[in-house]
Amino acid sequence: MDDILFLLSQTMIFAIPLLIVALGGLFSERSGVINIALEGIMVIGAFCGIFFIHFMQDSMNPQLCLIIAILIAGVAGMIFTLFHAIASIHLKADQTISGTALNIFAPAFCIFVARLIQQTQQVEFTDVFRIKEIPILSSIPIIGDILFKNTYITTFLGILILIISWFILYKTKFGLRLRSCGELPQAADSAGINVYKMRYAGTLISGFLAGIGGLVFVLPTSTNFNADVAGYGFLALAVLIFGQWKPWRIAGAAFFFGFMKTIASAYSGIDFFLSLGIPNYFYKITPYIATLLVLAFVSKNSAAPKAEGEPYDKGKR
Amino acid sequence: MKKMFASLLALSLMLVGCGGGDKKTDDTTKKDGNAEIIMITDKGTIDDKSFNQGTYEGVEAYAKKNNKTFNYIKPVAATDDEYKNSIDQAVKQGAKVIVTPGYLFEPAIYAKQTEYSDVKFILIDGYPNDGNQENPKSNTENNAIGIKFQEEQSGYLAGYAAVKEGHTKLGFMGGMAVPAVMSFGYGYIQGADAAAKELGIDVSMNYHYTGDFKATPEVQNTAASWYKSGITAIFGCGGAVGNSVMAAAEKADPVGAVIGVDVDQATESKTVMTSAYKQLANAVNDALASIYSGDFDKVDDDKILFRGGQNIVLGAANNAIGLPMDTSTFKKFTKADYDKVYKTIQDGKVTIKNSTAGEDVSVIKTEKVKVNFIK
Repeated sequence: MDDILFLLSQTMIFAIPLLIVALGGLFSERSGVINIALEGIMVIGAFCGIFFIHFMQDSMNPQLCLIIAILIAGVAGMIFTLFHAIASIHLKADQTISGTALNIFAPAFCIFVARLIQQTQQVEFTDVFRIKEIPILSSIPIIGDILFKNTYITTFLGILILIISWFILYKTKFGLRLRSCGELPQAADSAGINVYKMRYAGTLISGFLAGIGGLVFVLPTSTNFNADVAGYGFLALAVLIFGQWKPWRIAGAAFFFGFMKTIASAYSGIDFFLSLGIPNYFYKITPYIATLLVLAFVSKNSAAPKAEGEPYDKGKR
Repeated sequence: MKKMFASLLALSLMLVGCGGGDKKTDDTTKKDGNAEIIMITDKGTIDDKSFNQGTYEGVEAYAKKNNKTFNYIKPVAATDDEYKNSIDQAVKQGAKVIVTPGYLFEPAIYAKQTEYSDVKFILIDGYPNDGNQENPKSNTENNAIGIKFQEEQSGYLAGYAAVKEGHTKLGFMGGMAVPAVMSFGYGYIQGADAAAKELGIDVSMNYHYTGDFKATPEVQNTAASWYKSGITAIFGCGGAVGNSVMAAAEKADPVGAVIGVDVDQATESKTVMTSAYKQLANAVNDALASIYSGDFDKVDDDKILFRGGQNIVLGAANNAIGLPMDTSTFKKFTKADYDKVYKTIQDGKVTIKNSTAGEDVSVIKTEKVKVNFIK
C-alpha cells in the first residue's frame, strides 16, 4: 500500500507538466494552429521562471516567489509563441516549419543569455517550494497521501487549469467560437467571427500554458536548469493525440503516461515489481504502443480539428 | 504577397547584417581568436562542472600566470571529422599547444599529431589511436602526450568512505557505460567491499546506467524510489544525472546522501556528502609547465613524468585523485581514516580493477557487497 501511494505521488511529477502542456497544445490546435513548438516554449518558460527564482528566492516567501515565477514563465512563453502566431496566422507560413524553428532557437537563446548574464549556462536554484504537509487535508486517507503530502502548489494549479480549460472550451461563447475556427473557419467567418483573432488567442493561450509547464517540469527534477526539458514537449503532443483533443481524456492520458513512466523508472526500488519479473522495457514502451493502437483504431474518424494546420485564407472556398 | 516578400527580405538582410557585425566585434576582442594555447571541447562546454571545465581551468591558470595567450574552440559536432577540423582551425589560429579533453579525441589526435609535428598535443582521458574497434593501432608521437586518470581509485575511496560512514545500502547511477564512468563504478564497488570486510558487515548496492548525461524526471524518480527502498547514499556519476539525484535526495525522508563526481560538487546541494574527483586542472597545468620548460622534449628521460611520446596514468601516487575532505560532510569517517586508506592505494597494497576488466559489472567479484545490476 505504501508503495502504491509513493508511486501515485511520484506520478504527479510526470503527469502535471504533461497535462498543462498538452492542454496548451489543445487550445492552439482547437483554434486550427498546430503547435509543435511546445518543447521550445517549455524551455523558454522554464528559463525565465528559473532565472527569476535564482535571483529572488532568498529575499521573499517561497510560495509567493513560485507564483510570480509561474506568471513570468507563462508570459515569457506567450511572448515567445507570438513569433509562431505571426508566422502561421498573419504570414500564412507552414506551421510545422515555424514551430520547428522555435524549437531550435529556444535552447540556443537560453544558453546565450545565461552566459551573457552569469558566465555559466546552468541556472541554479534551490527547491524550497515543496510543501511537506497540508494540515487537515493530509489526514484524509489515500488522497491525503497522494495529493497533500510532499506536494507543490503546481499540482493543484494543473488540476485547476484542467477544469478551467474544460469550462472555457465547452461552456463559454469564446470556447465555441475558438473550436469552430479549428473545424470550419470559413463558416465561422461568415457568422461574423474574426478567425485571425480567435487563432491568435488560441495560440497565445497555448504559449502561456506551455511556458508554465516548462517551469513545473524543471522544479522537482534537478537543482539547476540547463536549457533542456528532455523531450517532454513532444511527449505532451503524444498525450494530446492520445487524449483525442478532449480535456478530460487528455487528463486521463497524462496520468496514464505519467504512471507508466513512474513504474518504468521506479520499479527497481519497489519489491513488488522486482518480484513480478516483467522486463523494464515493457513499462517503458507501453504508453507509446497504446498511442499507436489508439491512432490505428480511430484514424478513420479522428477527432482532430478538421482545419488544423491550414492557414486561413478568406478568399478560399 | 509582394509586401510579405519585401518584409522577409528586409528581415533576412537585417539578420545577416547582425551576424556579420557580431563576428567582427568578436574577432577584434579576441584578436581573430589567435592564441598560443588552444583547448578544444568535446561534448560538454567549458562550464560543464565536469572535465571540460576542469581542463579549461588548468589552461586558464597556467596561461594567466605565465602570460600566454589562450582560447578555446567548440567543435560544431562531436565527430572525428569535426574534431580534426577544429584542430586545423586551432593551428591556423597560431596554436603551439592544443589541449583536448575526452577519449573521443583519440582518433583525431592520432591522425593530426604527425601532420602538425611542431605543435604539442595534450590529450586528457585517452591515448591516441586510430579508433578501430577490433584491432586498434595506437601511437603517441613525441609531440603528444596521453593522460588518463585512475578513476577506479577515486571511486574506491568514495565506496570505502560511504560504508565506513555507516551506509550499508548504496546506489550507483552512472550516465552511460563509457570507460571513465565504468571505472568509477567498479572502484566504488570494490571500495565498499573492502570497508564491509573490515567492518564484518553485509552491504547491498543497486547499480544502474541511466543511458544519458541529462537531468530528467526518470532519473529523479529512480533515485527517489531507491531512497524510499532504504538506500541511503547514491553515487551520481555522469554530469547532470547527479543533479537529479540531488533533487531526489533533498525530498527523501530522511534526507539522502549524494556522492558527486569529477570535481568537488559540494556547492551544488547540501545533500552532497563527498565527491570522487580527479585533479584535471593540476594535470593540465603540469603538462603545460613541462612543455614550456623544455622538459617535454626530453623524451628519453625517465625521471620526467610529463614528456612527449608518453601515455601516462595519474592516480593516488601523484595525488591526482581523491575526495575533498575539507568540504565533505562525514561524521564517522575521519581524515585519519582517509589518509590511511589513501596510503594503502599509494603503496599499491590494493589492486583495483577498472573498466578494462570487462563491460559486464559481474566481472567485479565481491565478498560482502551484493551488487544488484539494474538495466
